[in-house]
Order: sequence, then C-alpha cells, then structure tokens
Amino acid sequence: MASTAATRAAAGASKVVKPIFSRDLGEAKRRVRELYRAWYREIPSTVALFQLDINVRTGRDKVREMFDKNKHVNDPRVIDMLVIKGKMELQETIHVWKQKTHIMRFFNESEEPRPKDFLSKFYSGHNP
Amino acid sequence: MAGYLHVVRRALGQLGGHGGVKGLLVQFFRANDVKTGALIGVDKYGNKYFEDSKNYFFGRHRWVLYTTEMNGKNTMWEVDGSMVPAEWHCWLHSMTDNPPTTHPPEPKKFLAQVHQFNVSGSSKQYVPFPTTSKKIHEWVPPKAQ
Amino acid sequence: MLRLPSVGRALASAVKSSMALNTVPVRAASNMVEVFVDGKSLEVETGTTVLQACEKAGVQIPRFCYHERLSVAGNCRMCLVEIERVVKPVAACAMPVMKGWNILTNSEKTRKAREGVMEFLLANHPLDCPICDQGGECDLQDQSMQFGSDRSRFTEGKRAVEDKNIGPLIKTIMTRCIQCTRCVRFASEIAGVEDLGTTGRGNNLQIGTYVEKMFMSELSGNVIDICPVGALTSKPYAFTSRPWETRKTESIDVLDAVGSNILVSTRGGEVMRVMPRLNEDINEEWISDKTRFAYDGLKRQRLTQPMVKDDAGQLTPTTWEDALTRVAGALQSVQGNEVAAIAGGMADAETLVSLKDLLNRLDSENLCTEEVFPMSGAGTDLRSNYLLNSRIAGIEECDLLLLVGTNPRYEAPLFNARIRKSWLHNELRVAMVGHNVDLSFTYDHLGEETSVLKELANGTHPFCEVLSAAKRPVVVVGSSALQREDGAAILSVVSSIAQNARTSSGVEEGWKVLNVLHRVASQVAALDLGYKAGVDAIRANPPKVLFLLGADAGCITRADLPKDSLIIYQGHHGDVGAPMADIVLPGAAYTEKNATYVNTEGRSQHTRLAVSAPGMAREDWKIIRAVSELTGVALPYDSVEEVRSRLAEVSPNLVRYDDVEEANYFKQANELAQAVNQELIASPLVPPQLSAKDFYMTDSISRASQTMAKCVKAVTEGSVGEPSVC
Repeated sequence: MASTAATRAAAGASKVVKPIFSRDLGEAKRRVRELYRAWYREIPSTVALFQLDINVRTGRDKVREMFDKNKHVNDPRVIDMLVIKGKMELQETIHVWKQKTHIMRFFNESEEPRPKDFLSKFYSGHNP
Repeated sequence: MAGYLHVVRRALGQLGGHGGVKGLLVQFFRANDVKTGALIGVDKYGNKYFEDSKNYFFGRHRWVLYTTEMNGKNTMWEVDGSMVPAEWHCWLHSMTDNPPTTHPPEPKKFLAQVHQFNVSGSSKQYVPFPTTSKKIHEWVPPKAQ
Repeated sequence: MLRLPSVGRALASAVKSSMALNTVPVRAASNMVEVFVDGKSLEVETGTTVLQACEKAGVQIPRFCYHERLSVAGNCRMCLVEIERVVKPVAACAMPVMKGWNILTNSEKTRKAREGVMEFLLANHPLDCPICDQGGECDLQDQSMQFGSDRSRFTEGKRAVEDKNIGPLIKTIMTRCIQCTRCVRFASEIAGVEDLGTTGRGNNLQIGTYVEKMFMSELSGNVIDICPVGALTSKPYAFTSRPWETRKTESIDVLDAVGSNILVSTRGGEVMRVMPRLNEDINEEWISDKTRFAYDGLKRQRLTQPMVKDDAGQLTPTTWEDALTRVAGALQSVQGNEVAAIAGGMADAETLVSLKDLLNRLDSENLCTEEVFPMSGAGTDLRSNYLLNSRIAGIEECDLLLLVGTNPRYEAPLFNARIRKSWLHNELRVAMVGHNVDLSFTYDHLGEETSVLKELANGTHPFCEVLSAAKRPVVVVGSSALQREDGAAILSVVSSIAQNARTSSGVEEGWKVLNVLHRVASQVAALDLGYKAGVDAIRANPPKVLFLLGADAGCITRADLPKDSLIIYQGHHGDVGAPMADIVLPGAAYTEKNATYVNTEGRSQHTRLAVSAPGMAREDWKIIRAVSELTGVALPYDSVEEVRSRLAEVSPNLVRYDDVEEANYFKQANELAQAVNQELIASPLVPPQLSAKDFYMTDSISRASQTMAKCVKAVTEGSVGEPSVC
C-alpha cells in the first residue's frame, strides 16, 4: 500500500504518465475531431435505420451537445478514454447492437434526480 | 368497346344517381363513396340498405347509408357502426341472403327495441373498477358545526 | 453501539454459573442416572421423563397432548417409544426414566406404535386440510406425513361433533378435535378460568364449555396456538391467508406496558395476524387477547394524509408541504414557553427524543406525558421510582407479593399470568390493597382504603407480621393509584412499606422490593428522556401552540386552552386527539416503523417495520425532523441510526436492546419521598380497569378494532355472539 502510494507520488512528481493513445493535447483533439466527424456522418443512417422520430438536425445537435458536455476536459488521457467510449457507442449504433430505446435515452429529459436531502426525501415517499 | 361503354354508363349513373351535385357531394363526404345499387330496404330508423353484387366483389356488395337523425341524435356526420339494428346486421354482414323485408325475423327478448348508441370513448363509457374491499379505512374528520 | 455493561453482566453471570457448577458434582452422585437413547449414553436427573431425556439427546418424540408449560396428561399416546427389555411401549411424556434404560426412538416397534396411534387419530379426523385454517402449521398434518401410514383400514363413517360457540375470538370446529386436552389444561392452569372441560367418555368425549358460554379469559387466544390441530382457530383470521403466504416480522407489542414479543404476519402490505414470540423474561410464549386480536384496528380510522382546518373549521386533506409549513409558521410565531407538547401512550423513544430536542431548541421545556406520575419527592429523577424493578420473571423468585391499587389481570395480563404461575407452583402469597377485583388466583384482600396503607407502613396492621416474615417480598403499585391527587403520598407510603419489608426480610442487596406497574408503552421511555409526567403544567399555563404526539386519552380539551391556540395532532388514528386538532400529521403505527419502546421493567426493545405506513403517513420522528428543518432549527439527525445515537447520548439504556438497566437508590428515593408533604385522601383505591369489559378497548388502536368491540359486546351482554359460518 505504502509502496504503491510512493510510486504514485513519484510518478506525479516527474509528470511521466503512460499515454493511452495520444502523446499530447493536439493529438487527442485530433482524435476527438475524427470521432465527431464519424458521428456526424453516421447520424442520417442512424435516423433511418432505427426509424427514429427525430430529424437529422436534432440528432446532430445532440451529438454536438454530448461532445460539448466534456469540453472542459484537457487531460489527454481522459480525452482518449472518452474517445474510446464514444467509439464504442458509435460501433454499437452502427451495428444495431442497440435498440431504438437505447438511442432515445440520449434524449431522455424526463428523468428526475433522486432526492438527496432529508426534506425532499420526506416529501417524496416513505423510505427513499 | 361494349366494356368501355359499360364503364362510362356506370360512372354517369353514379354521378347522377344521388340527386344532383349537392347530393353527390353529400354522399361522397358522408360515405367516402358514390356507388349506386339496388335499394333492398329501409329500417325503422331510416338507414338505407343497398346491394349490387354484379359490379362489386363479395364483401363490398352490400352497404348501408346511415340516416341523418336517429333517436334524437344528429347523425349527419357522426355515424357509428352500431346504428345498424340487429335484424339488418345479419343481412349486411352476409350471414344470410334474406333481408328482413322479405323474411321478418322472429322477435327475440334479447334484441333491443330501441337502438342504443355505443358509448365507448364518451364520458358514459364503462370503466372497470375494483370490487375488493379497501385494505385501509381512513378516518373521515367530523363535519364542523 | 457497544454494549459493554451487558458484556460485563454476562461475564458476571458466567462466573456465577461456574460457581454453581462447582456444587453440581456433589448432587450428581445421588441425583443423576445414566440412560441410553438409541444406544447413546446420557446422564439425566432422576424424575426426568423419557421425552425430556430424548429431547436432551437431541431426539424429537412426536406428541400431541404434551406441552412444556402444561401438566402432563398422557392421553394422546403419540409419544409411545420402545424401551429395551420392557414388554410394552411406554408413553414417553409421562414415564420417568429408570437407571440403565435404553430408549429406542426409531425401532420397528416404536414406529409401528406411532403408526397405529396415528391411524386411530385419523380414523375420526376429517380430511379437510384444504379448507382448514391450521393447514400448513398443523401438528397432525406434519406428523401424519412423517410417522403415519399411507393408507387407512377404516371404512366406517367418521364421528361428527357439533361446533361450540365460545365467543367472538375463537372459532371451533370440534370434529377436528383429537382430545389432547391442551386447551382444557391451559384454561385451568395458565389462564385460571375453569371454563373449558371434557364431557362424555371414549368415543363420545367432547371438549367444551358444557353450556353455551364465552370462554372468558384475557389470554384465551393462546389456545389457538397450543391446539395441535385445527379444532380451535382464530375467528377474525378465518379463511384469510395461509402461513406460507405471509411474511413474518419479529416485533414488539405496544398495547400495554409489558412489551410482549410478537410475530407480525403480513401479506401484501396488510397485517393478517399477530402471534406470540418466545421470550422467557417477558411473555414466555403467551400474549393477551388485545395484543393478538386488536390488529384490525390498524386498518380502520387511520390518518392517511395531512389535514388542516379550513376557514369553516373543517379538517380538509392537504399536502405535506402545506401542513408542515403551517406547523413551522405557528412554531416560529410564538415565544418558546408558549409551545407545549403532550406525548401519548404509544409514542416511541425516537419520536420522543426528537420532539424534546425540537422544543428545547425553541426554548420550551413544556413536554409532558399523558400518564400522570407524582413529581414531588424524588419524582422521576430516580429510575427506581417508576420501574417494575423486580422484573416480570423476578416474580417467580419472590414469596410474598403485595399489590397496591392495581388490577394486573387487565392492566398487564402477562404479568398476571406470571403471578399466577408463581402462585400455583412456588406457593407465592399475594395480598392486595385496593378494589377487590377478580384476579385468576386467590389473595388476601386487606381493604381498599388508603388508611390500610398507612397502617401497613407504621406496622399496626395485622398483615405486617406476614410482611415482615417474608423472605423475598415484592410490592407492586399500579400506575393508576399514583394518578390520584394524593399520588405522591401513596408513592411515599408504599415506598416506606417496601423499605420496611426489605429491612425485615434481610434479603440480599440486589433484591428489589418497590415496583410500579405501568399501563402504557411509552411511559418509561418518556420519563427516561426527561418528560414531565402529567399535564397539570399545561393546564396551569395554557400554551398558544400545543403539539399532541398521539395523545388520545383526552386529558386536555379545547376548553382548557385559550381560544386562539393552535393544536397540532400527530398520530396514526383519528380517535380523541385528531378531531380537536387544527393540523393533523399522519404518523405510523407500531407495525409500520422501526422504533424503540421501553417496557415497564425498563427493558428497551424495538419494533420492526412489518408493513409500510398507509397513504402519505410517515415515520413519526421523520415528521418532527422535517418540522424542525422548516422551523429553522434543524435537528442534527437524518437516519434512524443517528437518532438512536442521540438516544444513547441522552440515556444509554434506551439503545441497549433486550437488556434491563438496573435501577438503584431505593433508600434515597424513600428518604426523599418522606419529605413529601401530602395527606392521603380517604377515597378507596379503585383501578380504572375493573372487569373484562374495561380490558379490550383502552387505546386508539383497540378502540378502532371491530374484534375488540365484539368482545366488549359479548362480555357486557353475556352472549357469545353469532356462530361462525362453516
């Protein structure tokens, strides 16, 4: 335990981290752009394939929104990880490993967050 | 040639067989059709029953033109399949070839004397309700004086 | 929560028992005999029955008539076992073991005997298990599957017996009866009523009351549990559910102050029945009828949504937000000392502590309990003053019991059953000062005047000789006697009697003499937490905002308060408190929450959530926690564990579950009580519950119960009610 902590501290000190794919931020950003382009091109066929009740514009807006959600991230390793996850989503979408409901979950806005503080828990039910 | 002539004659007959332009339009918008046929009978509510088995295939050869006023309800545009009384229903759905005009049906106790409209979708519709007793009987506060 | 004291006590008892073990070998030489169970050697005391010896060896002998807590009848013959070199099989329940016997519990002969007995029992037993309420928990069903034959040789017709109607609680289907006479023995030995008996002989033997009458006992429901077949079943529970459909929750009863351990059977969010749970220290395996049958009161007259009074003075349902905002507004708009709270008889310790914390944060100390207890002298400062210090099981060790102004038979039926047990088996002598009530045993009635107490205290009464001769005396004073105007004087004189008896008996230091028998479940916890007993303070100084926490005894009415005062009622039943309230907050009943209760011994136990609270009702402490947040004085606990650690801060004994914290300082309490300057009133000591009809409906739950109403009707009219269908 102590030794791993020590190595972690040493690694942090020298700033040497093993990259996932990208060696610097520019490369990571390039991967993000590639992923975004792939999504952008895929959206029309997704809408057609899944028979979604949205138009292509809405789908592309949603893709942009999902990318914008992580725009504050500037650690290349984190960006790479997010890109990997995005690619997984894309592959699942292209191969129709998902179903319509999984796609439409991106558009789900009706989900209420579970109450956290005592009073809202009290109002919402017996034992939330 | 004779075939074409027949078609033209039928078309003219259908266009003119409803009482002028107005009748034609009314017929078209009420029944979505302008076909003409032999009037087999009229029931007590005024629904008219037609048949034309020569020019139409089985299933389209009998039809009804609904009355415009039934039991005090205006049925000019709001028509309903249940407006056909039981005795005509048989003939209309080809369960029998004998219309009630020629073969009056035996009076049956269960047949409605007066037509009742289908109330599905209206506020009078039947809604199933639980018949089990309540698990918890809540306290009803006493009425204030 | 670390339970160090209990660990210490366990260690002490271990030391004691090891000392006791040292004395055993001396007796062992003369008292122990060696027997063999299926060839396995075993040392048992002389006089042990074959069945007990087998039990000790871990072998269960099938039985119907034998019950550990009843006398041995030996008439079902199911427990026949073969003994090596003994000609005939013997009834294991009645036969004492002899030296060197080899008991064969699974031999060919034993099995054949069992099979034969079972065949005879089933010859006259109807095959109606599919419609029998005992199905699934029937001894006959289980044992016939295990020991019976798979076919019958009887082709004759079966005997049919007319059903008896013995009241609104117990349904009888006498054709199913196998004449084990457990119910007869229970009635005469435990309940102490000679209502049940047998008539006829042989094939015509019948159990019944001879003439049609109600089986009138406060413990009558227990015959349902001890009946091994479906002959006696519960009338309210008839045809409602099967044992395998229900979920069982171990809980605590709060309808009296004994705190009986119960098992709540629930199905689909509904309490189906209540059954006793074994606890040797409290209720053994019995419960009172109120505990068992008042559960239908949990389904009637319930408060399910918050209500507020509108402009016309009519209570109308509203939302929690609205109701709580109004409560918070009312609490904020008044000074601290203009707020008061009254806790009722079924409030749990968690709620009591949160209500006290809330009011203390608002600078108010006006927290009272409905039950009165004298506050002068030591008052409630010393725990020894208000507990049943000898404990319920301690009654079995005492040799003289003096009851003062109480009727334990209806105030605490299981305490009374314990007294009767001791009276029957340990030759306990009982004396009573107070109204001459019908207990289930005989006692010396010393009179009902308070002057008798005075004479007992100063040694001029003839009974004082008996009292001073007693080796282990116990004095029990009923809480109702202390609620008179001269309550403090009574407590003072009773504590002198106890102190005198203690000195004269020369009993060891740990023996407690003075006891108080409470009637409501919340009282001890409330006093432990520092509530004031009695509402006199509120009457003297009427508050502007009054918070009723399940207060349904009706000791404060609208007339006692100024016109513009606001009453908030929090509780689970619309009974006495809710109609006069301006704001009603629906709480949970005892089956619907995890809550702590302290019984009259000072034993803290907790109920468990069996069903969720109905409608919008919430757990009580949560309501108060929510009020506190809206009032701006948020209480620092969000979960029941945090409330319990707060309870431990205030009074650690409240969270040491199933453990009794010893109370002491009797002498000091007595000395302080002498300082009480109050004269005894001459009026006689009459407890409020005199006869059976006062027993059934005492609180908001049992008042809402239809079964209890039927019982009251049956008792007052002397009729048994309508016969059960089928």
